[in-house]
Amino acid sequence: MMPFRNKKTVGSHLCGASQKSEKAHREHRNLSSHQNLNRAKKENRSIRTKRLTVSAMFATLALIFTYVEVLLPINLGIPGIKLGLANLVIILALYNMNFKYAMTINLIRIFLSGFLFSGVFAMLYSASGGILSLVVMWLLKKSDRFSMVGVSMAAAVTHNFGQLLVAASVVSNLRLFIYYPVLVFSGIIAGIGIGVIAYIINDKLPGHLFN
Amino acid sequence: MFRIIKKADIVLFLILVIIGAALFFVSATGNEKGKKAVVSVDGKLYGTYSLEKDQTIVIRHTKNINKFIIKDGYVQMVHANCSNKVCLKEGKISKTKQSIVCLPNKVVIEIRGGDSYDAVSQ
Repeated sequence: MMPFRNKKTVGSHLCGASQKSEKAHREHRNLSSHQNLNRAKKENRSIRTKRLTVSAMFATLALIFTYVEVLLPINLGIPGIKLGLANLVIILALYNMNFKYAMTINLIRIFLSGFLFSGVFAMLYSASGGILSLVVMWLLKKSDRFSMVGVSMAAAVTHNFGQLLVAASVVSNLRLFIYYPVLVFSGIIAGIGIGVIAYIINDKLPGHLFN
Repeated sequence: MFRIIKKADIVLFLILVIIGAALFFVSATGNEKGKKAVVSVDGKLYGTYSLEKDQTIVIRHTKNINKFIIKDGYVQMVHANCSNKVCLKEGKISKTKQSIVCLPNKVVIEIRGGDSYDAVSQ
C-alpha cells in the first residue's frame, strides 16, 4: 500500500488527529499533532526523493531524445523543423510533477545537449525556445481548458517562435521570420503527434512514480 | 480516449492554422524575380551583387568563410566552414523576400528587387 499513499491520506491523518485531540488533553493534542506533522514531513520527503529520482531519469531521457533528433535530422530545406521528442518528457514532467521540476529538467537538457552536441551558440536558440514554450505550456495547463494535445501544439509553435526570435536578433535581420509560416504548420503537426503520444503514455504511467 | 481532445484544443488549432495561413499569404505575395543579392554579415552590409552576371563570391569575416554562386539569376551557397551546414541545404533562391542564412557565421544573403529601396542600400 505504501506507494499509493499520497497527499490526501496525509491530510486525513491530520484531520482525524485534530478531531480526536479536541476531546483529549492539551498536552496530548500537542504530542499527537506533532507526531502527525512528523509523519507528514516524512511523506513529503519521500515524495521529494521520488521526484528527484524521476527528474534525473527524465532529464536523461530528454537528453537522449535530443540526441536522437541530432542523429536523425528532418531536412526539408528549412531550418528548425523537428519532431520535438524531448517535449514528450517535459510535458509529462509538467503534468505529473510541477512547473519547477519541468523547468529544471528542461534547463538540464538544454545545457547538456548544448555542451555535448550542438555547441554553446545553438544552446541559446534552444534555451529561448525551450523556456518560452514551457511557460506557455504551464499557462495553458493552468487554464485547465486544454488537453495535452492542445498544450503540446501551442508549445511547438511557440518553441519555433522563440528560436527564430533569438536567431533573428543574432543576425539582426527580421527577414528570418520568412520561415515562420512553414514552421507554424510543421509545429502544429509535430505538436499534435507529441501530444497524443504524451496522453497515451500519461495514461499508462503509474501514479506512484511521482507521489 | 474521448477526452484526448477538448473544445479549446480545436479552437486553438483553428486559430494557429489561420495565423499560419495568413503569414503564408503575407510572405507569398509580392514574390517576384529579384535583381540583386544583398549580403550582410553580423547585421552590417557586406556587399551587393547583381543577379544578371554569373559570379562566385567568397565572404570572409574574421575566421568565417562562406562561398556562394550566382548563376542564371539564382543564388546558391556552396561552401561554409560552419558546423551545421544548414545554409548549404537551402538550395537555390531567386525571388525577392527569399534569403539564405548561415547562423553560425551570421551571414545573411537576401534577394531584392530593383526599386529605389536598393539605391539606399548601395
